[in-house]
Parts: sequence; structure tokens; C-alpha cells
Amino acid sequence: MMKDYLATIVKNERIAENIHSVTFALDEACKVRCGQFGNISLGGSHLLRRPIAVCKVDGREVTFCYQIKGEGTQKLKTLAAGTKVNVLMPLGNGFFIEEKEKKVALVGGGVGVFPLISVLREYGASKEISAYIGYRNAGAVCGVDEFEKARKFVGVTDDGSYGDKMNAVQAFEADLKKGNRPDVVLACGPTPMLRALKALVERENLTCFVSLEERMGCGIGACLVCVCDLTGGAKARVCKDGPVFNASDVSL
Amino acid sequence: MANLSVNLCGVPFKNPVIAASGTFGFGREFNELYDIGTIGGVSTKGLTLEPRLGNPVPRIAESRGVILNAVGLQNPGVKHFIERDLEWLKSTGTRVIANVAGKTLDDYKNICETLDGLVDMIELNISCPNVKSGGMAFGIKPQSVEEVTRVAKSGLQKTPLIVKLSPNVESIAANAQAAENGGADCVSLINTLTGMAIDIERRKPIIANNTGGVSGAGVKPVAVRMVYEASQAVKIPVIGMGGITCAEDAIEFLMAGATAVQVGTASFTDPYAMPKIIDGLNAWCDKHGIANVTELTGVLQLNGR
Repeated sequence: MMKDYLATIVKNERIAENIHSVTFALDEACKVRCGQFGNISLGGSHLLRRPIAVCKVDGREVTFCYQIKGEGTQKLKTLAAGTKVNVLMPLGNGFFIEEKEKKVALVGGGVGVFPLISVLREYGASKEISAYIGYRNAGAVCGVDEFEKARKFVGVTDDGSYGDKMNAVQAFEADLKKGNRPDVVLACGPTPMLRALKALVERENLTCFVSLEERMGCGIGACLVCVCDLTGGAKARVCKDGPVFNASDVSL
Repeated sequence: MANLSVNLCGVPFKNPVIAASGTFGFGREFNELYDIGTIGGVSTKGLTLEPRLGNPVPRIAESRGVILNAVGLQNPGVKHFIERDLEWLKSTGTRVIANVAGKTLDDYKNICETLDGLVDMIELNISCPNVKSGGMAFGIKPQSVEEVTRVAKSGLQKTPLIVKLSPNVESIAANAQAAENGGADCVSLINTLTGMAIDIERRKPIIANNTGGVSGAGVKPVAVRMVYEASQAVKIPVIGMGGITCAEDAIEFLMAGATAVQVGTASFTDPYAMPKIIDGLNAWCDKHGIANVTELTGVLQLNGR
């Protein structure tokens, strides 16, 4: 159940180029579904919290990975172990894999790879998971120790400095052409990547769920700040109705 | 325990803390965190006669001590609110204030007629800075404030009318008086200040709408000054808002002349901000020997020169 947890930073460190990982010890255990997120309070002059996907949950310890992008994440980066902050979580719907869906493809790029790690940790034992993960370059590669636990892991980069020179969608498509067809595709990454993936899964008639990102206000569905366009023309709240949507329902 | 109850235009509120329009939806989401029946009232997300999709994203940005938003009155329409949310919101025990906006004078009259007798109060949004036809045109000049107030009031037989004032005006006192002259039962202020925040890498405004309404802790001194000026200018009660984060902030507004306050942006920073402000008001009143919170309204004494 959603709650504003008092969280103490256990570890806050750089894990790749421009990517940091922060682990909090919560005041009590929190049940989180893969793909859900937390809204992290930064204090001081920062009136907005920062919504970040949960990467790992281990008892009372929760890990979030974040890209240094603006003043908020710059501030988050400086918070030392022992610092106490509030984290409102778990938020959003998360990923859900149906019983009949056995073969799962994870397609991720950039900072979007971290919610997919949470999928692997929740479903790794019960599903046959293949992960197609794209990074900008070798310096940005992270989470490999987690993705290597998947049945299959294909890591690629935009410049070919790690793995093949291609993006995550191309890596997935190449495997698809070899006959490795999943029952469901779960994805998170930059909008151009998701757009390319949506076109591919529509051509291939595959079921696909995408996790979206948007600037948020309240994070709980009240303020209507973080909306996305649905294919029917209506709007949905990324924080409350998502962040995970059936790719066929959203207009990217 | 101090008596925190206040009365606005004959409507009793259990305490003077009201959720500000646009930050609280119709209350359902915050009710998952705490019983919203404990707060004095809820001013709903701005309602229009027909559903509206609002502005493109991004709709929000942060600047030090403030935020900017340009949601653009996205709402499911007043009929949907009446059918799906109103009874539930009333059943929580909080007071229901319907915040309404329109494109034309007729819209304001029609939406007031639609809601008359169904809600505890109606708050006229004549100052939304984020939509070309979101009422802002009505909220600038005293003459048009008076006119839209008079037209809206003509659609109401039972429900008291609050006029929400824009701070982006020449004289807040003149506009408060104009609302009073037009028949307003109460004024609330301040709506957001129009602002802009720029992404210097992209050389573009962060918000898709380019400009947005500025709110949050940083606007509080401006809001307190305007609440003081408005309350000096009118006899009707004033609801104060703008950057209220804690009980002490709320007390400033009461002392400046407000009978009740609204809290908005603070609920984003801390979703429990309003219950904490109510507890803090109680504690402050007890500590200062205040038996009724109403004793604080307008007690401000200016420094001599």
C-alpha cells in the first residue's frame, strides 16, 4: 500500500557514466511490484519530488538508479549515507505478466534499463526471459550482472564500443527474425526507441507493454500534470494509470 | 484543543484549511493516504461545461522555491463530476467547493446554474493563466471582474459564490472590490503568478505552453501582501493562499485578514501537508491561548512610521 516512507540512505554511488544508484533502508518493509516507482523528496528549495523507478527490493532496502540530468538529480547525487529523506511509494501500476505468457522479451535503453531489472528479479525464476539492452557507449554499460541472469542477454551500443553496433530494438528484431518469438514484450527507454518498438510489434502482431516517463507533480494521480495521449484521443495519467501501458493503447 | 471551526458565508467548516483547486483532483487519490474528511474543504479541479483535454506536456517545471504549471484545465466536464465524484466527495465529510471556469459569460452562468444547490460553495476561476480562453480575460480589469461575477451570481439561488482573484493585475484591492460589487459572497487569492522557466541547453521554455503559473513557498510574501490589501478593501470574507507550507504560514494569512486558507503546492512536496498544518494550527493556538482560530483573522497591526 502507498505510504510516505522515512528512508535512510545506505549507499549512493556512481555505477556508470552519468548514472548513479541510491539504496535506502525504509522504516518498514514495502511490497513493490516490478515497474512501480517511488517519489523521492529532496528537501530545501526543491518543492517537487523526483519520481524514479524501483530497481531492486531486498527486505527493507530499496534501490533506485538515476541519470544525472538536472538540479534535482545533482542534489540527490550529493546526499551521503545516513541522510534521511521521504519516499512516497509504491506508485503506479507496474508490469504484470500473465500466467499463459511464458517467453518474455525485455527491450530497454538508457536509464530505462533499471525497471527491467526489477522485472527480471520478480519473474526470472518463473519465465523464460530474453533481455535486449541498448547503451550509448561502453562507459554507460551497467546492470550487466543482473541481465546476465536472464535466459538470454544481448547488450549493444550506439557506437559499437560494447556488443554489436545497433540499438535495443534492432537487437530484438534480429533475434525475432531468427525465430525467437516471445509471448509478451516489456519495454522501457527513450521515446524514439519505444516508438520504433511499437511499430515493430504492430507489424509482428506481438503483445507489448511500455513504461513511460513524464515530468510529474503529485505522483499519485491528482494533479493531471503527467499525462500521455491514448490512441483514442483521450489522456491518461502516467503516474496513476501507468507508467506501464499496453503499447497499442498509447500514441507515442 | 482550540476551536478551529470557521464560517464562510453561512457554510460551517470544521477547520480553515482547504485543498487548493488543481492540486487535489476530486480528493480520491489523497484519500488513499489519509481521511480527507479531516480537512476543512476541497476546492475541486477546475470544471468546465464540456470535458477538456488541457495542454501538451511538459506541464510542470521547478525553479528554486517555486514551481510552474500549465495543465490547461484538463477536466472530465461538470456532468461527469456530478455523476461520478460529487456524492463520494460529500460523503467524506469535507466541504465541497466546485471550482468552475468558462470561455464566455454564458458558460459561467450555465455552470453555476448546473451546480447551484449541489455543492457547498462555488469558486469562480476568472484567472487561469494557462488557457487562452480560461477566464483570464475576465480576471484582469475591475469592470470585467464585476461583470462576470454578476452574471455568475445570476445563475445561483442557493450556493454562495467565491471569486478567485488573479495576482497579475494592476490593483488587487480594486479587483476585490469589483467582485464584491458584482455580488460575490467571498473572494479567494492569489491564483498563480504568470512565469517562465528556460532550458538553456535547448534554448526553449521547459513547459510546452511556454509560460506557466508560479506557485509554492517562494510566492508567499507576495500573496500575504495581496491578501492584506484585498481584505482591507472589502467587507466579504477572504480566503488566502499562495505558498502555504506550514501552520505558521497559514497564521500569517489569517492575521493579514483571511478567514480560511487554501493549500496547493505543499501537498506535492509533502502529501500530508494539510493534516500537519491543521495539527500545527491547533498546537499554535493552544500555546498562545487562542480559544477560537477566528480570533486571528485580521489582527495584523502595521508598524508605525
